[in-house]
Amino acid sequence: MDINIILAEIDLEINNINSPENLEQFRLKYLGRKGIVAQLTATIPTLSQGERASFGQQVNALKNKLSLLLEEKQRGNSANNSPRESASFDIGMPGIVQELGHLHPLTQVTEEICTIFNRMGFSIVEGPEIESEYNNFTGLNIPLEHPSREAFDTFYLKDYSKMLLRSHTSPVQVRAMKDRKVPLAIIVPGRVYRPDAVDASHSFMFHQVEGFMVDKGIRFSDLKGVLEEFSKAIFGKDIKMRFRPHFFPFTEPSAEVDISCIICKGIGCSVCGRKGWLEILGSGMIHPNVFNHVGINSKEYTGFAFGMGVERIAMLKYGINDIRLFFENDLRFLRQF
Amino acid sequence: MKITYNWLKDFVDIKISPRELADKLTMAGLEVVSLEEKSGDFVLEIEITSNRPDWLSLSGIAREVAAITNAKLKVENYKPTKKIKNRSSLKIEIENKKDCSLYAARIINGVKVGPSPEWLSKRLELVGCRSVNNLVDITNYVLFELGEPLHAFDLDKLIQDKIFVRRGKLGEKILTIDGIERTLSRNILVIADRERSVAIAGVMGGSNTEVGFTTKNILLEAAVFNPVLVRRGRQELGLQSEASYRFERGVDTGIAEKASSRAVELISEICGGSEILYKVNGSVKPKAREIILNLPDLTRILGVNISAIKVKQILSKLGFIVKERSKNVFSVGIPSFRQDVNLPEDLIEEIARIFGYEHIPISLPKVLPKVNIRERRDLVSNIKNILIGLGLNEAITYSLTDSKILNDLNPAFGAIEIMNPLSQEQGFLRTTLLPGLIRAIAHNLNQKLEYAALFEIGNVFLRINNTPHEELRLGIALSGTKKMLLNEAAFKDELGLLNLKGIIEALFTRLGIKNYEFINQAHGFKVDICLNKEPVGLISTLDSALLDKFNIKNKDVFTLEVSLEKILTLANLGKRYVPLPRYPGITRDISFILKQENSVKDLLSVLQEKGRPLLRSLEITDYYKGRQIPAGYRGLTLSCTYGSSERTLTEEEIIPVHKLICSMLTELFSAKIR
Repeated sequence: MDINIILAEIDLEINNINSPENLEQFRLKYLGRKGIVAQLTATIPTLSQGERASFGQQVNALKNKLSLLLEEKQRGNSANNSPRESASFDIGMPGIVQELGHLHPLTQVTEEICTIFNRMGFSIVEGPEIESEYNNFTGLNIPLEHPSREAFDTFYLKDYSKMLLRSHTSPVQVRAMKDRKVPLAIIVPGRVYRPDAVDASHSFMFHQVEGFMVDKGIRFSDLKGVLEEFSKAIFGKDIKMRFRPHFFPFTEPSAEVDISCIICKGIGCSVCGRKGWLEILGSGMIHPNVFNHVGINSKEYTGFAFGMGVERIAMLKYGINDIRLFFENDLRFLRQF
Repeated sequence: MKITYNWLKDFVDIKISPRELADKLTMAGLEVVSLEEKSGDFVLEIEITSNRPDWLSLSGIAREVAAITNAKLKVENYKPTKKIKNRSSLKIEIENKKDCSLYAARIINGVKVGPSPEWLSKRLELVGCRSVNNLVDITNYVLFELGEPLHAFDLDKLIQDKIFVRRGKLGEKILTIDGIERTLSRNILVIADRERSVAIAGVMGGSNTEVGFTTKNILLEAAVFNPVLVRRGRQELGLQSEASYRFERGVDTGIAEKASSRAVELISEICGGSEILYKVNGSVKPKAREIILNLPDLTRILGVNISAIKVKQILSKLGFIVKERSKNVFSVGIPSFRQDVNLPEDLIEEIARIFGYEHIPISLPKVLPKVNIRERRDLVSNIKNILIGLGLNEAITYSLTDSKILNDLNPAFGAIEIMNPLSQEQGFLRTTLLPGLIRAIAHNLNQKLEYAALFEIGNVFLRINNTPHEELRLGIALSGTKKMLLNEAAFKDELGLLNLKGIIEALFTRLGIKNYEFINQAHGFKVDICLNKEPVGLISTLDSALLDKFNIKNKDVFTLEVSLEKILTLANLGKRYVPLPRYPGITRDISFILKQENSVKDLLSVLQEKGRPLLRSLEITDYYKGRQIPAGYRGLTLSCTYGSSERTLTEEEIIPVHKLICSMLTELFSAKIR
């Protein structure tokens, strides 16, 4: 067999092929186990030493050309959308991927809150969950035997007197103001504890984010501005806000902050109790007594502070109606976030 | 507290609708939580903050309404009463003036006790107070009007010569009017006659002197008791009343006598009778107080200018006595009902409240550019992201748990106990993250999920040198079979200890942590995770006894717990570029069987060493057990990649080193090459 003749023939043959079946026949004819290339290769040992090398090269060249032609033709066939090829592939099959895990929704909301304040220039600081009675109460101007303590019922530790599980993240205010130098702009995420019986809206363990800013010339109007930026960042630009006078022992003046209900847009629905407003955080100007406790001159410096419950924000943001879901860790719940 | 719209009108001219009134009160800090139309009136329920006992009365709220709507207060017009003495002069003995600063008693003879007139019982019922009889109702009515709790005793049931205000005696008992016998103590203040206690001061009267339909003569008490004492007493007794609620927040000493006069007026109108004695023990006049208010301070704190005229108007309407000392400086006299006002800032809040928080502008503070360092937190968040990338889900579990489970899982540590737990299940601070995680795994397996893989990063609480100590840890628990669809098949992975090892390796690699190793403990499926030879964590398989305790059936659970404290300090995210190999490598696979007891880790480290310098990398690429493999062995495939940084290696060059690798496998590790 003359390889040059074969080379010429295959060009013609391949052009006439118009079905995958014919292409397969063509492949078998040349590259099959008993095909022409195999037959040619089998003749090599019969050749003289001198002929072998050049013949071998020719056979190889033929083989390469055949492979190339087959590949090209095959590609052409599938591009022509031949029925066999498309039937073998179903994009409706599930994609193949290693499953990703999910961050807990409370982590995601905490991070979102912290990131917003971080971008406004607040530093993130954390504090211990076991606190002294002083940092949790006295230093924050909460007298020990006063009805205002009622809102801050607390778990105490058995073997350590005057030590407790912090009932809010505010003790970190006391710590940070003592340890650091003004000006301060700090945000504090953390776990807190209060002896509340567990039900759909209460939990003995929950999470807060606390923020405060201390400098010369910090005003109530700045508190309004910062919290408005925050609310719009987390709940959307169309949100309305209102500041209502309230009482907190560690701020004076104090304000509770409501946003227009994100469900009914302020018309009144079951989520906002027909009020059109949702309470989302407590805030105010840091009380002079708190400054006195940490040795900051309240005639010179002013500051604001605010605090919010992460569960509350997450429940509003995601439409979750039972706080217990956060701590049950049901994967069908976690995978939604 | 509940009030009604019409009742409020007795005290102040209201020109706005109940709805508008509710909104205005809310925006002034008296949050109206409900507004209801009821029997021709409107009932407003208001949440009163604990600093404002003066708002626990209609007259107090009326004062607020006058200030926010600029309306006129109606002048209270009670007949002034003189102290009346007569022969049967009653004595009042107060054991300690600190416990009771004022005790005013009146004796009224010849009253007719019966049902209340309709207007009286209706008003009380609207504000949530049950009608009892005309006399008791009058004391309650005055309590709601003026905020001073009054108490009426049946005089004929008292030993009449002397009234005592004293502490309870140890073991002393009293039957209160709710029909429950209460045991007293030294912490509880009582009203008593010569022989027995007749009331728990400021909380509830005793049934031994209760006013009823047969009562003819009464003793009417108007007093001011120590707030802390009333609070302690009612806490100890677990007994709360309208009276104790007001006393523990602080009752205005200036109102007691006025309230008593008001009650006498109503009693003579409704029950008849005549007052024959009026006696007071204790001081009536509280100290006059003044606060200096500088207007520039107001602007400095609020960020708004409010005119001196406006400031004066607001404070005066709220009952403060305002004198202008000099330009923009006021001296402000504090009325007795405002014990909460002690600082200029308190006055500034009052002004801001009435001025309206909504009228304070919005501004943004100047913030100094500052790099915020949050290394630790960023690392933790980095770790969480790596773990979710590895398919784990983040859990958050309770830090409080029961001691039994802590003992089972972590017997070495005495957990810190909570003094006042809600229940035994939450009696101790966790010393390990595992109970919460295993519980979460059990919950998910109970929901018939095929597998669960959870992690938590949180604090555990340890006693170290007998001080409480918090340590940040990572815990992981996994169980079940993970299924994964491949291109032409499905793949099942029964989760186990090696998954945990892999997670830690991936994590440490990402964090740039070196010098770690996994060391099998002598017993059971427990593996120490060591950093620089020191154990920092443990990987383990739960034993069946523990699985039973968590109610997990037919599944194994694998756990990991590692302290992050050291890991966070050793983490090194710094990177250094290593030049890419310029010449391609050649890979040769070796399939062999290896005895179970021969460690792959040893094998790899020895071969890696001996293969130098041409051996670039060694990797186990297949692992199988099955029919073709003899018992006690496993089949492995080792991919050896050879290469050089100077040239492309030829077949001939790698033959000797590959032969060496093969012979070491058989000679040193008794492997059989297949």
